[in-house]
Amino acid sequence: MLVKEIMRKPVTVASVGTTLGEADQLLHSRGFRHLPVVDQGKLVGILTDRDIRFATSSLFHTPLHEGDLVTLAMSAHPLTADPLDPVEDAARIMRENKIGCLPVLDGGELVGILTGMDLLDALMTLTGVNQPSSRLEVTLRDQPGELARLTAFLGARHINIHSILTYPTPDSTVRTVLRVGSNQIRHLADDLRAAEFTVLWPLPMSSHLNPAGPR
Amino acid sequence: MPTLIHRAEYGQYDFGPEHPFAPGRLAVLLDLIRCLGHSVAPVAAPAATREEILSVHDEALVAMVEALDHGDTRPEAERYGLDTADNPVFPGMDLAARWLVGGTLHGARLLLAGTETRVLQLGGGLHHAQKDRAAGFCLYNDLAVAIQAFLDQGWRVAYLDIDLHHGDGVQNLFYGHDRVLTISLHETGHYLYPGTGHIQELGAGPARGLSVNVPFEPFTEGEGYLEAFEEVVPRALEQFAPHVLVIQAGADAHFADPLGDLGLTTQTFQTLYRRILELAAEHAKGRTLFTLGGGYEPQVVARVWAILYFTLMELPLPTDLPEEWLGRWQHLLGPEVGRTLHDQVPAFPEIPGRGERTRRNRDVVARLLDSLLRYWL
Repeated sequence: MLVKEIMRKPVTVASVGTTLGEADQLLHSRGFRHLPVVDQGKLVGILTDRDIRFATSSLFHTPLHEGDLVTLAMSAHPLTADPLDPVEDAARIMRENKIGCLPVLDGGELVGILTGMDLLDALMTLTGVNQPSSRLEVTLRDQPGELARLTAFLGARHINIHSILTYPTPDSTVRTVLRVGSNQIRHLADDLRAAEFTVLWPLPMSSHLNPAGPR
Repeated sequence: MPTLIHRAEYGQYDFGPEHPFAPGRLAVLLDLIRCLGHSVAPVAAPAATREEILSVHDEALVAMVEALDHGDTRPEAERYGLDTADNPVFPGMDLAARWLVGGTLHGARLLLAGTETRVLQLGGGLHHAQKDRAAGFCLYNDLAVAIQAFLDQGWRVAYLDIDLHHGDGVQNLFYGHDRVLTISLHETGHYLYPGTGHIQELGAGPARGLSVNVPFEPFTEGEGYLEAFEEVVPRALEQFAPHVLVIQAGADAHFADPLGDLGLTTQTFQTLYRRILELAAEHAKGRTLFTLGGGYEPQVVARVWAILYFTLMELPLPTDLPEEWLGRWQHLLGPEVGRTLHDQVPAFPEIPGRGERTRRNRDVVARLLDSLLRYWL
């Protein structure tokens, strides 16, 4: 998943001639928190709602006023992303620098903006929770072909996989969490067990008719 | 005497022998009621028209169902939730679904006309169908079409969904509508299909606070379920003051259902049905429209829904299952069926972790009410 697939566009911007009052109005009316500042089309900074509040607060060393220019309160030389960056790299940059957004530049031109909210949307898409689906949790041996065996099994049953997440466990197996587009996964889980998969969820049919079975 | 709606054509809604949403379940139920000495004389309602389906669904979905029904090959069918493991294509599927929608819609019209205050549609309850896609065994949303018919006459509608699964289709179709209250009690979507129905789904815009979800921990039993029901449902109905209650009475929250993990018993269901009727009398002039829904173990759904029938008809509940019925359906009923209409007491051995489940369920209800009370002032 690339930045260009999840970034917001077109971008609402302020210019270097915009006042803090105007910028504040704009952020409020549009429900944004981040406003790129441009000078003749070129990105020169980022102004956040927090920047405005702090710069105009009595706690600021020389409090600004609504008629002052945005350039006095913005962060200059912001970090940026490329449309072709993978989203995980953009996420890491934002996390490591504790920043809430990345303007996206393509050949020096501002083409989009990526915020923490967009990354949450991406997380939902990646985990498949934004589609009607069931959770299937399987432990796989950490060896070639295991995931292929699992997905082939689902493919043969005409079950669509909305997402697959895997992570290693301390006992050197691979925990695999799938969101699948089917309502009938207990039967599926029983079939998987019969094919010698270790299924963690859902529990076996027998434990269900006798729910005192192992959890 | 409440009106019963059913017709033989409901049996055409059939995804094939391997599919759990099997029409045989209805045949077993009807025969059980008959063998218990009640001649079932249901009203046969007309099929819903294409226009009636379009009162809630996109034309593109209906056109796709029709095309697949005619045998056309459409690679994009999966985007409409069709030609999938849950909703495989079968000939006659468009009309089969419209029969079910027509029954529920007919029930709504009887209530609107004032000729009836209590209707049981023996079928339907296709709560997963969305505006633009079929889902989870549901092609068209009969409940939503009925609710829309009430809305068109200016009624306020409370929708109550006791199916094991979240009633996502109905919730989404009326998520911003301030004359529809949707309440769904279900096994938590953290694990189970369709993955939604969280307490934070509260409705949008003018309908904020009118979408109510009570998700339960897996293996929640009747006592915990009824406790949460009492905490949430009466208050919601009281503040909303509906004209009618539409109930999706899925039976798959029963402990022996193969698709889920809740632990309700036939006794829980009987208590629940009685409470729903009391609440309808209190808050909706007794107007109720019941449909069936999920429920995938024939011996369970026959018993649970027979109890629904006897409760709505205000008939004394028979104790034993008739021999004749047990013999005729042996092949479908399996060895678990027992001899009585009700489950044994206790129905299953104690499930470990009840204390933890109870605590978590109570937390969830407290958090839900905390959010809702803001909108209910």
